[in-house]
Amino acid sequence: MRTLVMLKAMFKRYAIELRRYAFNTLSMLVSFYLVFLMVFWGARTFVGGSAQFGDTLAGIIVGFTVFYLTIYAYAELSWVLVQEAQQGTLEQLSMSPLGFGRVLLARIFAALAFRVGIMVVLLVAMMATTGRWLSFDLPTVIPLLVLTVASAQGLGFLMGGLAIVFKQIQAALGILQFLFFALIAAPVDTFPAVKYLPLAWGTDLLGRAMIDGTSLLGLPAADVALLVGNATVYFGGGFAVFKLFERVARNRGLLGHY
Amino acid sequence: MSEPIVAVQELSKTYGSRRGTVVALDHVSFAIQRGEVVGLLGPNGAGKSTAIKCLCTLVRPTGGRVTIAGFDALTHPRRALEKIAAVLEGNRNIYWRLSPRENLEFFSGLQGIPTRRVRPYIDELIDLFDLGAKARVSARMLSRGMQQKLAVACSLVKQTEILLLDEPTLGLDVETSHELRQALKDMARRGERTVLLSTHDMNVVQDVCDRVIIINEGRVVTDDRVANLLSLFRARAYRFRLEERLPDPVRRTLEARFELLHVRHTDHTTEFEVELLRTEGLYDLMDILRAGGCVVESIDRQDPDLEEIFLTIVRRQR
Repeated sequence: MRTLVMLKAMFKRYAIELRRYAFNTLSMLVSFYLVFLMVFWGARTFVGGSAQFGDTLAGIIVGFTVFYLTIYAYAELSWVLVQEAQQGTLEQLSMSPLGFGRVLLARIFAALAFRVGIMVVLLVAMMATTGRWLSFDLPTVIPLLVLTVASAQGLGFLMGGLAIVFKQIQAALGILQFLFFALIAAPVDTFPAVKYLPLAWGTDLLGRAMIDGTSLLGLPAADVALLVGNATVYFGGGFAVFKLFERVARNRGLLGHY
Repeated sequence: MSEPIVAVQELSKTYGSRRGTVVALDHVSFAIQRGEVVGLLGPNGAGKSTAIKCLCTLVRPTGGRVTIAGFDALTHPRRALEKIAAVLEGNRNIYWRLSPRENLEFFSGLQGIPTRRVRPYIDELIDLFDLGAKARVSARMLSRGMQQKLAVACSLVKQTEILLLDEPTLGLDVETSHELRQALKDMARRGERTVLLSTHDMNVVQDVCDRVIIINEGRVVTDDRVANLLSLFRARAYRFRLEERLPDPVRRTLEARFELLHVRHTDHTTEFEVELLRTEGLYDLMDILRAGGCVVESIDRQDPDLEEIFLTIVRRQR
C-alpha cells in the first residue's frame, strides 16, 4: 500500500516535470522524428524501388521504436541520478524507508509508462509518414517491448551505479548508445549468438509481432522464454551491480555528492 | 532515565584514498532522549556532517553502532529511516521545478503517506513557515531563505520522530535566520520532535537547543546542557580593565598561567578577559598584576556567550 502511495507520488512528480519541461519533451520528440525521416529518406534513396524496401522500412520503424524506448530506459536512470545528486535530492530519495532500490524502480516505472505513451505518438507519426502501417496488438507488443527494454534497463542500472560513484560518465553513456544501435539492427538469423545479448532477440520478436502480425501466443514458447530469461538476467544483474555500487557510495560517503 | 531514541556508541569513520586516510569520526559516543533538542557544534571538518550522515544511513561507519529507536541503523536501515527525516544541504533538498505544495506532497508520498491524509498538516506547515503567498510558485522562484524553510518543512511533512538538520541557517540573512529559528523554537517547545542540529551559528544553539555536543577532530570534547555550560563559564570568566598598557613581561607571565582572551589595548588602558579554572586563581592573578605595578581600574564577571565557550573549548583541545 505504502509502495503504491510512493509510486503515485513518482507518477505525479514526473507528470508535473514533463509539463514544466514541455518544450524539452516536445523538442526531443521532434528531433527523434527528424532523425527517423533522414534514415527513411536515406533508405529510400539506396534501397527504394526494390521489392525488399517494404520489409526494410518496417524493420526501421520497429528498430526506431525500440531504440527510442531503449535510449531513455538506459540513459534516463544515470541522468536522473546525476541530476538528483546535483540538486541535492538524491540523499532524500535514498532515505526513504521504502528503500532506495524500490524508489528508483518506481521512478523508472513512471518514466517508462510515460515514454510508452509518447512512443505510440511517435510510432503513429512514423507509420503515417511512410504509409507503412504495422500491426499494433497491445497485449502482444507491450509485454514484448517491456521485456526488450528491461535488458537495456539492466545496463542502465549498471551505468547508474557507476554514476553515483564516479559521477562523470557521460562519455561512456554516449559510446554505449552506439552499441545499442548495433544490437537493435543485428540480424539474429545471421549471428545467432547475439540473441543472448541485450535488445537483439527482443527486437527480432517485436519484428515478428509487428511486421508479420504474430500474436504473443502465436510465438514459440521457447522464444518467449528466452526473452524472459534475457530480460531477467540483464535486469537482475544490472540491479545487483547497482546495489553493489550503492554500497561503495555509502562506504565512501559519495551518495549525493557531485 | 528511559532508553534514548538515538544512541551512538564508539562511532568511527575513516576515509581512505591514495594520499592516505582521513579520520572523520574517532570513537564518538552520545545519546539523545525523546523530545530533546541537541546542537552539534564543531569547527569545519570536525566530523559533524559525517556524524549526521551516519545517523541517517547515508554514510556507512567504519566502526561502532548507531541505534535509532531501538533499531540498529546498520543492520535495519529501513526501520531506522522510518524514524528519521533530515535536511542536509540547506536549500538543496527540494525540487526546484515543483511548487512548495507539490514538494510537500511529493515528500510525504516518498514516505508512503497518502496526500489526502497529510493535507491538513501541509496547510499547517505552509502557515508555520510563512510560505502561503508562494505555495503554488516554482521553488526556484523563491528566495534562498524561503527555499531553506521549505526544505525544513519537507523534512517535517514526513512526520518522523527524529529530525536531523545539518546547518539549517547557513547562508541566510539575519531576518530569515531569525524566522527559521523561531519556527524551530516553536516546534521544540511543543516537544513534537527529537532534534539534532549541526550549525556554526551559536545563536541557533543558544536559542533553540537544550543540550550541546561539541565535536572536534572527530571526537566529542563536550556534551552538556547549554544552561550548564553558560553558568559554568559565567563563574569562570572575568574582564579586567587596567589604567595603563599591560607590560609585555606581565602579559607573558599571565599567559603562562591563565587562559587570556580578547586582550585589547588603547593608548593608556588595557582590557582583557581571562578564564579562571579556580576561584583562588583570582588572587594569584591580582598578585601578578600588583608585582608588575599594574593598577586595576575595574573587574567584571563576564556573561560569556556560547561562541566564546565554544572557542575556548576547541582551543584547549589544540
